[in-house]
Amino acid sequence: MESLTFNIDNGYLEGLVRGFKCGILKRDDYTNLVQCETLEDLKLHLQSTDYSNFLANEPSPLQVSTIDDKLKEKMVIEFQHMRNHAVEPLSTFLDYITYSYMIDNIILLITGTLHQRSISELITKCHPLGSFEQMEAIHVASTPAELYNAVLVDTPLAPYFIDCISEQDLDEMNIEIIRNTLYKAYIEDFYKFCEETGGATADVMCEALSFEADRRAFIITINSFGTELTKDDRAKLYPRCGRLHPDGLAALARADDYEQVRAVSEYYAEYKLLFEGSGTNPGEKTLEDKFFEYEVKLMVNGFMQQFHYGVFYAYVKLKEQECRNIIWIAECVAQQHRTKIDSYIPIF
Amino acid sequence: MGSLFRSEEMSLCQLFLQSEAAYACVSELGELGVVQFRDLNPDVNAFQRKFVNEVRRCAEMERKLRFLEKEIKKDEIPTLDAGDNPDAPAPREMIDLEATFEKLENEMKEVNANAEALKRNFLELTELKHILRKTQNFFEEEEHSIVDDAQHALGVDDSRPIASQAQPLQLGFVAGVILRERIPAFERMLWRVCRGNVFLKQAEIESPLEDPVTGDQVNKSVFIIFFQGDQLKSRVKKICEGFRATLYPCPETPAERREMAIGVMTRIEDLNTVLGQTQDHRHRVLVAAAKNITVWFIKVRKIKAIYHTLNLFNLDVTSKCLIAECWAPVVELDKIQLGLRRGTERSGSSVPSVLNRMETSEEPPTYFKTNKFTSAFQAIINAYGMANYREVNPAPYAIITFPFLFSVMFGDAGHGLIMFLFGLWMVVREKQLLTVKDAGEIWDTFFGGRYIILLMGLFSIYSGLLYNDAFSKSFNIFGSSWRVTDDFPIYGPNKSTIISHIQLSPNSTAFQGDVYPFGLDPVWQLSGNKIAYTNSYKMKLSIILGVSQMLFGVILSTFNHRYFKNTLNLFCEFLPQVLFLLCMFGYLVMLVFYKWIYFSAIERNSNCAPSLLIGLINMFLFTYPKAPCSSHTFYPGQQAVQTLLVVMAVLCLPWMLLVKPFILRWQAQRKIGGSMHHRSTRQVPKVTNINGDADDSGAAEEVIHHDDVDIIHIHKEKEEEFQFGEVMIHSAIHTIEYCLGTISHTASYLRLWALSLAHAQLSEVLWTMLFRIGLSMNGYHGSIIIAGVFFAWACCTIGILLLMEGLSAFLHTLRLHWVEFQSKFYTGAGYAFQAFSFAQIMEFKTDD
Repeated sequence: MESLTFNIDNGYLEGLVRGFKCGILKRDDYTNLVQCETLEDLKLHLQSTDYSNFLANEPSPLQVSTIDDKLKEKMVIEFQHMRNHAVEPLSTFLDYITYSYMIDNIILLITGTLHQRSISELITKCHPLGSFEQMEAIHVASTPAELYNAVLVDTPLAPYFIDCISEQDLDEMNIEIIRNTLYKAYIEDFYKFCEETGGATADVMCEALSFEADRRAFIITINSFGTELTKDDRAKLYPRCGRLHPDGLAALARADDYEQVRAVSEYYAEYKLLFEGSGTNPGEKTLEDKFFEYEVKLMVNGFMQQFHYGVFYAYVKLKEQECRNIIWIAECVAQQHRTKIDSYIPIF
Repeated sequence: MGSLFRSEEMSLCQLFLQSEAAYACVSELGELGVVQFRDLNPDVNAFQRKFVNEVRRCAEMERKLRFLEKEIKKDEIPTLDAGDNPDAPAPREMIDLEATFEKLENEMKEVNANAEALKRNFLELTELKHILRKTQNFFEEEEHSIVDDAQHALGVDDSRPIASQAQPLQLGFVAGVILRERIPAFERMLWRVCRGNVFLKQAEIESPLEDPVTGDQVNKSVFIIFFQGDQLKSRVKKICEGFRATLYPCPETPAERREMAIGVMTRIEDLNTVLGQTQDHRHRVLVAAAKNITVWFIKVRKIKAIYHTLNLFNLDVTSKCLIAECWAPVVELDKIQLGLRRGTERSGSSVPSVLNRMETSEEPPTYFKTNKFTSAFQAIINAYGMANYREVNPAPYAIITFPFLFSVMFGDAGHGLIMFLFGLWMVVREKQLLTVKDAGEIWDTFFGGRYIILLMGLFSIYSGLLYNDAFSKSFNIFGSSWRVTDDFPIYGPNKSTIISHIQLSPNSTAFQGDVYPFGLDPVWQLSGNKIAYTNSYKMKLSIILGVSQMLFGVILSTFNHRYFKNTLNLFCEFLPQVLFLLCMFGYLVMLVFYKWIYFSAIERNSNCAPSLLIGLINMFLFTYPKAPCSSHTFYPGQQAVQTLLVVMAVLCLPWMLLVKPFILRWQAQRKIGGSMHHRSTRQVPKVTNINGDADDSGAAEEVIHHDDVDIIHIHKEKEEEFQFGEVMIHSAIHTIEYCLGTISHTASYLRLWALSLAHAQLSEVLWTMLFRIGLSMNGYHGSIIIAGVFFAWACCTIGILLLMEGLSAFLHTLRLHWVEFQSKFYTGAGYAFQAFSFAQIMEFKTDD
């Protein structure tokens, strides 16, 4: 039934996003990019891809940051175009995608103000997908409660923030906790929304979001070692919609070191592989990269089904990964640091 | 049969260009636009090629030009487009160009920066002016009430002595300007953060202000916030900062404010003059640039194109000359030689450039020299598939058959006339219309096919006259051959009621016996059996036209077989095909003519004329029934003739299917036996010097002497293993396709009749249902109604009959050509010749 009516509202956008997807750089493009000697070479090569003239009006010499800005700008233009043409419930779905960027922006701004950076300097670093009207006034708040009452109450993030109001003041630790609490609430809410939408959307998105939740749980646990975060507090930060829930999360909550986290992953076939393939030695991929790789695989698979919203999420994620890849290569080229240039994550 | 019959003869050429002359030579070739360069280093990345730096410099120049163009457009200065075509400048001029652009860009940037600073200054002053004016109002009008309200609002302790109100300005305030759309959020935030302890007053600035960075017009509002205490002040300021509001100092007493306002006004005056001067300067610079910008663009693009092309070339071992490979039409070789010599002279090089023809087994590209008339027809053919190299091209025949088949379906002289006039208008005003750019895709399509439309209109008038049909009405030019006689059943029994459906019968005495000289007798327009009459006529016509066109297609295939020296195909494909077609449908066409000529209403009993369809079916069933009389034979001995034809047609099937594969197998087997001593003498591609010129030959030979065989691509030998199964399947597919095709394609031509009928009926419906209403009105109001009805009728005629029906007839014609006609001889698996041509590059660039 869904496939009958899906195209009435979303056919155009799905076609569009699949078209955009075809513009994602292929393995050949990466092999060419890696051979670049200077950023000018990079620009020249990107011209022959779907990016075509996105850097044509930039004067030489080129900065990596300009490339980054332009990459983001291109993606944001595409996303905004889709958002402007979307109708319910796709529009809500697309809004959900932007929330994670909003969370990142808020945390960035708070951390920045904590370190006495000027707000205008910070604003330029924010991701344009996650900007909202009250964002720039965020530095009036000095406690989480103020933050909530003054800034966030009008934003869609308000319901997620309820759990953080009780925190006393804004220090590094609390900011991390706020970030993770927000993310937890956000992922769970998004998960619920996708479940309610049902159909292929639920199939694809629940898998993607479960992975996202589990990844966060793992990362939180690993990063918490050696900090003053108590195990109870830590357990509160785990998003409860992943595959780890509930047994894995309980085990993670008890973990004391990396080996125990690894032991938890042994029970889950897909995560076990990721942990096994990772390492910190040269030549081995970090766990983070492994997670990214797995995410890319999931997202590419998302395009295998039709008539669902997951493709939009997948596209944004893949494009984000592509930006990271290009920036990584550009940084390596700019700094003449070619030994690690190959550790990008190819998409197709 | 000029160049359209087959594609141009192409030759793979090798160019040896001295490195100092290469640029000038390529530039000459770009102006000629008749060679297609091949990429000799396909494995090399774009940024690892030889001239990548020059390409990059060009890209940089283009960027600067685009920047200038943007600025010029912003100031709405018209750019001069004289349509002149400057030569590509010499490489050393590139530095001058670069310097010029650099200077212009810097100047522009400086001017812009100045202007922006001035504008920002101006904006601030204007905002301050507005603030002073508005706050004056706040203070004056509501001096007391504000304070009272504010004190109330701030919850100032009521028990305070009244005396404290004597110093109301203990309340701090800030004034500023903010974007109007941000006001609601701003207000809400203020309220939340300060817990309602501030008082905000705002007023809109009526005139929009200019944003100095983007140059957009934005609406802003003045606001003033009253608050108490320093803590609140810092918060308010932070919020203002967060909402990008600009705060201005505002004196507290009216006198100071007035003074300040006067100061601001004078400064604005000063600024205005400075701004005007800056704008003038900017304008002057841009006007000067606008004169040249088109020429500059062309120059830079040409340089870029040349370096792109040079990047395709190979470097000689001694790196003294560049080696290029290109496809070029044989007839243009002299021109290319001339261009090369000109290029060499221009660059002042002493060693001439050399052009060698190479032999290759590779399939050359297909290149048709078209003009503005033939290009549209060629485009129709190319849309189906680019012709194989030197294959017979259907385009020259399509010039006539395409509009003709269209007109058979679109047969209406009136509609044809409108179409013809439209086409004529486009053709006559061609030059003016060509200069119109960006007129939309639909217009471009129509305009591109203007000659097709013209011919289609012309042919439609012709067939409209044959059908005697113009807007569903007939002309009676020569006088009808029917007379009103007693038994002419135009009136009913009492001679006053007109019978709406008159049945015309040629047997009646109303028919004079002589035939209307041209086209259909107009009397049929009145008759009730008109459709029955025209159907029979148009149906037979469709079959005749279809079979003739298919037969023509099959015959055209012999030109291919003979040209490519494929005798086997001539005997094993063409002969059975033509026999098959003739035995079945050629015979049918013959019967049609026989029936037309032999039977007539008066002399022979046409009631008993044999039916063609039944006759055809019976021919295949070998049955010849005695009753009814319409299934009798046409002529004595028909049974024997028809049996022979069917047997022949059936015999053609195995002929087509089996003979060729088995002969091929036999040949392949013989070759394997004899190939042992052939293999050793595999030929190395020869290099022949066609440089006949006596002066050049000495130098040319010198170059050829070091002809390294490895730079000449030895292309894959096309000696594939002979696979009998594959050939057999191929043959089976072809046979099935052809035999079924012959039947289904003949039936497919019946669309000529169907569409023609539909068109005639639609136009008649439009007339009777719409225009007739207007005609039947009497009196003065009738004239008004008829005008309205005419309008509706004209719109429907244009919209439905001309556009929609025209499009549908066009598409059906297209199909008849692509599928029914071309499938008989046309392969269309070639690839197009893409010349390196400046003209095309410029055209493409302007499209972007």
